[in-house]
This record gives sequence, structure tokens and C-alpha cells, in this order.
Amino acid sequence: MSLLVFLEHHEQALTPGSLGVLTRAAALDPDVAAVLVGGDDLVALAREAGRHGAATVFHATDVSASPLPGPRIDVLADLVRRIRSFDTILLSNSVLAGDIAAGLAARLDAGLNWDLVDLELRDGEPVGTQPMLQDSVVAEVGWRSSPRVALFRPGSFDAVPSATEREPAIESLTVEPTPHTLAARAISRTLHTDEGPSLDAADVIVAGGIGLGSAEGFDLAEQLAGMLGAAVAATRAAVYKGWYPASAQVGQTGKTVSPKLYVALGISGAVQHKVGMQNSKTIVAINKDPHAPIFEFSDLAVIGDVHTVVPELVELLRKHTG
Amino acid sequence: MSRPVDFEPASDPNRFVGEPTDPVDERIEVGVLVVGAGPAGLACAIRFGQLLEDHPEVAEQLGDVPLAVVEKGKQAGSHLLSGAVIRPGALERLFDGHGGLDGMPTYGPVGKEQVYVLTRDRALPIPTPPPMRNHGNIVVSLSQVGRWLAERAEAEGAMFLPETSAVTLLVDAGGVVGVRTGDKGRGQHGEELSNFEPGSDLVARVTVLAEGTQGHLTNVALDHFALRGDAAPQVWELGVKEVWKVPRPLDRVIHTLGWPLRPQARYREFGGSFVYPMGDDLVAIGMVVGLDYRDPRLNPHDLLQVLKTHPTIRAILEGGERIEWGAKTIPGGGFHALPRRLHAPGLLLCGDGVGMVNVPTLKGVHYAVESGRLAAETAFAAVSGAAQDAPVPAGALASYDDAVRAGFIGKELYEVRDLRQVFGRGFFLGGALGVLNTITKGRVSIGSVRTEPDDEQPLLPVDGAAPQVVHDGVLTFDRLSSVFASGNKTRDDQPNHLLVRTRVAPDVAELWANLCPAHVYTAGPVGDDGLAEVEVAPSNCIQCGAISTKGGRLTPPEGGSGPEYWQT
Repeated sequence: MSLLVFLEHHEQALTPGSLGVLTRAAALDPDVAAVLVGGDDLVALAREAGRHGAATVFHATDVSASPLPGPRIDVLADLVRRIRSFDTILLSNSVLAGDIAAGLAARLDAGLNWDLVDLELRDGEPVGTQPMLQDSVVAEVGWRSSPRVALFRPGSFDAVPSATEREPAIESLTVEPTPHTLAARAISRTLHTDEGPSLDAADVIVAGGIGLGSAEGFDLAEQLAGMLGAAVAATRAAVYKGWYPASAQVGQTGKTVSPKLYVALGISGAVQHKVGMQNSKTIVAINKDPHAPIFEFSDLAVIGDVHTVVPELVELLRKHTG
Repeated sequence: MSRPVDFEPASDPNRFVGEPTDPVDERIEVGVLVVGAGPAGLACAIRFGQLLEDHPEVAEQLGDVPLAVVEKGKQAGSHLLSGAVIRPGALERLFDGHGGLDGMPTYGPVGKEQVYVLTRDRALPIPTPPPMRNHGNIVVSLSQVGRWLAERAEAEGAMFLPETSAVTLLVDAGGVVGVRTGDKGRGQHGEELSNFEPGSDLVARVTVLAEGTQGHLTNVALDHFALRGDAAPQVWELGVKEVWKVPRPLDRVIHTLGWPLRPQARYREFGGSFVYPMGDDLVAIGMVVGLDYRDPRLNPHDLLQVLKTHPTIRAILEGGERIEWGAKTIPGGGFHALPRRLHAPGLLLCGDGVGMVNVPTLKGVHYAVESGRLAAETAFAAVSGAAQDAPVPAGALASYDDAVRAGFIGKELYEVRDLRQVFGRGFFLGGALGVLNTITKGRVSIGSVRTEPDDEQPLLPVDGAAPQVVHDGVLTFDRLSSVFASGNKTRDDQPNHLLVRTRVAPDVAELWANLCPAHVYTAGPVGDDGLAEVEVAPSNCIQCGAISTKGGRLTPPEGGSGPEYWQT
């Protein structure tokens, strides 16, 4: 089995999701290769990939300098067809990677399994783990095709630099874009910046629900998030009341997150919210209702009013870090 | 002591009626348009397809799309929920000479059956009343049957348009000329989001509304063309249902009466439950309650939860797992509430939308299928005639009414016409107690008719807090968990599709908060004006239609919203 990981990068940094997938792939295949598409100045990123287990990093200079999926599909397809017969291509899902995976699967006539949260080898065959039916069951999925394309849910794997520093072999590639790739062009590009870390990438999330009582109540969540370097999330009900923007909604009809620490303020823990955050490593819930369902799946239960507990917590943190 | 009807939202009667607005060359033209992929609509599509197959010259004359079916759910069956023990005759007739029922998903014929009267601790078996006997009937999941019927309809050449809601009845020159489909991609305040797609005018020579219970355009059409005539007002029941995976097969069909409904007349709590085996490892369990009940604290969702704690029921479910949940209203007015006309120029009305349900026998699916089949035959005759009038004049469609009334739908509904009204207005009690009227084949009419609509029932003063129901997450569940188990993941940031007033009498607010099995409504604080704030969470809605019977109005949300029923 030979694995190839697509590395997504923005603003001179590899995405945590890509590095997580690379970390997992390196554990399965010591010869794992990774591919970077972009300008000339990506040597530092290639080294970073090496630290996360890449034996080889293909560096394809994107001649069209396009941010679109097309050139990336061209590079991956060319690599697999012409340069080395990788049998499995792995990507961490994003707006870009989702398009690439779909396009690549079509181009190579490859099977695509998506929304995977794990991959293992069984008798030399890769087997993916795919949560289904809103994460209520977990299915094991395989491929009948070769090559195979695997698209992973972000946050499925931690990015762990290996103990043994290794210098990856860097191979440069030039791939001619196909005519239909050139037919699409990006007209403009703007950077959307959020205050604080994004929900997808945050190690710590402070989330607020109806128990915060009002839009002003979210000030508490923001204060605590400020102390913890956390992103702020909200439940459907809080968003629906207009207390916090919809982009911060976590749950069945919002984002699915899996931070290291999830602090739930005044959230009852309806299953619709749970499915969006149940994969968090540690869940701390603060709620005045001792029967709130969230206490059934939280690691630390604080039974108390968020309006008294949180200011005390903020004060304690201030003293500690002060 | 408020009446829900006094808090109806202000509404323009013509809001959902209009002429086509798309430029002529952008309209989607079809021959016959069916709204709703349930047993009625799909039977209509299948029969119409069969007729076109035999008469290609008519298909030719109807253009590129002779037959289309629009469905608001994600797929056929997504919004279908029933018991269901069905009488297979109408389906057999539909497919007679066209492959029969081979391949239709069923759980086989009903074997043993038992009716119990429940008290809190005991279950007293009573002889099965004749109308409730199910010999020769079969157990199915209506959702599964719906998906199978949709495949058959597509095989017959129907163009199937799922995730499409029919929002406006297109009326031109005094007749129906199609429907306008709903916009997609609007935000909470109606603004156009980046993925906005406007609806389209679907114009048709004949439009068949087969929307099921509380059909949006069916109700619009009944009003607009004054089709109800002097019929009694329709009355409703609410069914809440779960599907369980169980460790031991259930060996019989069960119906229950009594507990947890209260016997005191003033509460008007009429209804019962059903427990049906679905093969060796699945069980369907449901609770039905008449919506003329008067205690605003009554919570139909929790009635089912409480029912499951009865020793007899618990023993069936013990060690099992709930795998699905859903709810739907059932029209219970029978013959007296059947609209006097089931057609208008360019329009035919089928199935549950016009109340084709036989209350004492607890059956309606076979009427839906039969009415769809009859609608197809009428529509076919109308469009294959020489005249190309648009809309098709009422005279060319009137034979549908005659066929419905002269056929078994009309005959059977007539025979049982007085059962429910006389014997306590119960979906189940009617069957249990109204034997006399049945054995005389309706010759003895007992006369009295339930004349008050559900929303005119004055609410009882609340005496004390509602009993707390414990939800253990194993046998009993809270409403949001149930909504989750319906598969509902409706986009939150779409416009509110529920027309309700948000400042109402406190008892009406409490009624809505408890009535809605999907916990859409929450009663808020009472203001200086003595009215309570009602908070609405429309994305919880599973489109059961209960709110429409009690002072609000369900309209279709964006296509593809709502539950995704699978084996209900």
C-alpha cells in the first residue's frame, strides 16, 4: 500500500487537518508521500510535512497560480497516473479539498469514501471508519477500486510531529494544466478574518446556550474564551434568538467540532447539539439544572448558575495567568 | 376558557392563490400534475402512466412531460407515516395486469389480534369489535411502501420532483392551471441568500392535489372554490408513533383503549393506541388522541411515552431500542365532513386531504389509493378528449365525484357515518362501541354529528400543574430527542413557515406548547395586556398539522425540510 496525502495550506501554514491526516498516514505507511501545490516558497512547509512523517514531498508549482480545485486535481491525477502508482489518496475535508476529492475520483474513476474519521489496514487493505445517520452508528467502509480516494472529517487526527526528525525528499513537479482547468479562473480573492481562532481549528471552545439568558450573556462566554484563547460557539436556540451569529452554531444543523476542551455554558445538551460536539476530548458543562442531559456526557459537571460561576472562573484564571 | 379559534393569525385569503407569473416560455408545462407522493398521488401517477402506455397518442398530445409528481420531502416516503395495517385490495386492483404487488415491502398478513382496555396497571382483553377485525389485511410501513410506489410511478414515466413544495395554487380564467413551487435559499427574514433559487410555475391541464392530511393547497382550494358546501367541519386526531427494534417478536396486532387517557367527560380525551409487529424484530407503537380535547396541559407526545410504561406494553419493548419517531394528524370527520365537491375546473382532490378515512376501522390508505386511481381515470378521459380547453372545465371532471361516491369509498364511509360522532368521537371508541350502526349497514342512523371544529373547543381552566413525565432516554424520551429520531434536520435560517400569533391568551400558549409533538412552541411570560408571548422554533417542525387544528396554520417550508421518515 502506498499513500499520498494532499496538503492544504493557507497564508504560509499547513492546515491542522492536513497535518493530522499525514500523521495518521505515516503511522500506516512509513514511505508516505505528500503533495504541496503552490509557489516557490514552500520549502518550510515541506520540512514541516517531513516532521509529520512525510518521506517524500512532491512540490508542484502551480503555473496558473490559481486557488481553484482544478490545477490541484491535475497535479494529483498526473502524479498517480504518470509518476508513481499511489493506491490511496488522502485529504482532510474543507471547501477546497471536498471539490478536489470529488473531481479526482471522477478523473481517476476511483472510489471515494468521505466523512471518514479513521483509517486502518486489515490484511493489507485499507478500511475506513464512517459515522452515519447523524453519528448514531459507525460503519466500516472499504473500496472496490484502485486507486482509492479518502476524505476525512477535520479534527479526526491530531497533528503529532515525530520524535525522529527526518528530512523529506523534495521532488519538484511541473504539471501542465488541462484545457478545462484553464477555462475556469478566479476573479478575486478576499480573506475573511474572524476575531480569535476559528471553530474548526480551535483547541478550546466556549459555547453558550439559552441559559446565558440574553445576547449580553454572551459577553460572559467571550470573556471566558478570551482567558482560555478559545473560540466562541452557540446552540441553535441561542442563534435563533439572535444572540450570536449563525456562523458560530454548533450542532446537527450547524458545525461539527472536536476541540480538546469544550466548555458548555447554560446548554441543556439536546441530542441535536450533542452530535455537533460529542467528539470533543474533554467536555465541561456548567448548568443550574442538575437533570440537564448534557451532564450525561460531560467529563466535568458544574451545577450552578453560569452568571455566578463564570465570573468567578474568569477571576480565578486572571489571578493564575496574571 | 379561551378558544384557539379566537387567536387565528390574520391572513389574506388570496395569499396562496394567484395567476402564473413566470414568462410564458419559462413555465414548466406538464400534462397532469400530481402534488404529493403519498399513496393517493402515486396511485394516480401509476394509473395515469398505465393509461398513457396504452394510448401513446394521448401522451404525444400532452407534450414533453405528460405526467409529473411534486413532493416536498427529501424523497418519496420521507413524510409518510401511518400505523399501518392496510387493506390490500385497492393496491391489488391498481396493479392488476401490471405486475401485481410483487416486490412491495410488507410485513405479511395480520395473524392474531387483541383489543385491551387499559387501566394504570392492568390490561383487560375484550372481544375485537367487528369493524376493527383485520383478517386479510397486511402490516406495512407506509414510508417504505411510498418509496416502492414512487419507483413504480417513475417506471410508468412520471417525472418525479422531490424537495419541491407546492406553495401557490395557480388559478386563471376561473380554474386551476397548476401550482407555483416554493423558493429555496431565503433567509430568516425572507432575504435572498447566496444559494437563492426562485420557485417555478408548473402549469398543467389537470392538477391532482394528493397532499395528505392538512394539505396546504387542498385547504386553499376548498376555500377558494367553496367546495365544502354544507359538509360538517372536518375534525382531527393526532397520532404519535415510534418504531422499535425488539429482542422478541410480537405475535399479534394490539389495540388499546382507556389509560393513559382520562375517562371524565369534561376532558374529551378520546383515542387509543396500536402496537403492530413488523416482522420478527420490529414493532410499531402509536398513540392517537382526538384534537377536540380541552385540557391545555395535555401533551400527546408524552401520552405515548406514558403508555410505554404500562406493564403490558413495557414487556413488549423491554430490552429493545427506539429507532424512529414521528407524528401526523388524521382527519376523523368521515362521511359528514367529506367536501360536497371533490373537483373544480382543472382540479381533482384525493385521499386524506379531503378526509377519506374510515374511522371505526382505522383505515384510509386503501381509500387514498382508490381515489388516486379514480382521479387518474377521470383526468385521462378529460385530457384525451378532443377539446383542448384550459383549464379543463368542471363538467369534464365531475365523473370523479360520482365514481368516489358510488364506489366503495363512498359506500363504506356512508355505512359508518355516525359512529364517531355518537360514541364519544373517538378514533378507537367509535370502533369499539359503535357496532349497532355497522351491523345494520348504516340503515339505522343515530343522527347526531360532531359540529364544532377542534379550534372552537373552549379550553378548560387549568387545575394544578401538569403531571411531570420522566424521560429516561431508554424507554421514554423528551421531545427534542424524538424530533432527532424523526430524521429532521431542517435548515434553521429559513423563513418561519408556521402562521401563528405570537401574543395569545396564556391558556392558548400553554395548549400549543404542549400540543406540538416536536416542541416548536414555548409559552413565555404574560405581559401587561394579559397575553403570553409564544416563542416559535420552526425548524423543529415535523409537519404533523396539529397546529392547523388549533388556531395556527402550517404552510410548506422550503422543499426538502422536515422529517426523513424511513420505516414509519
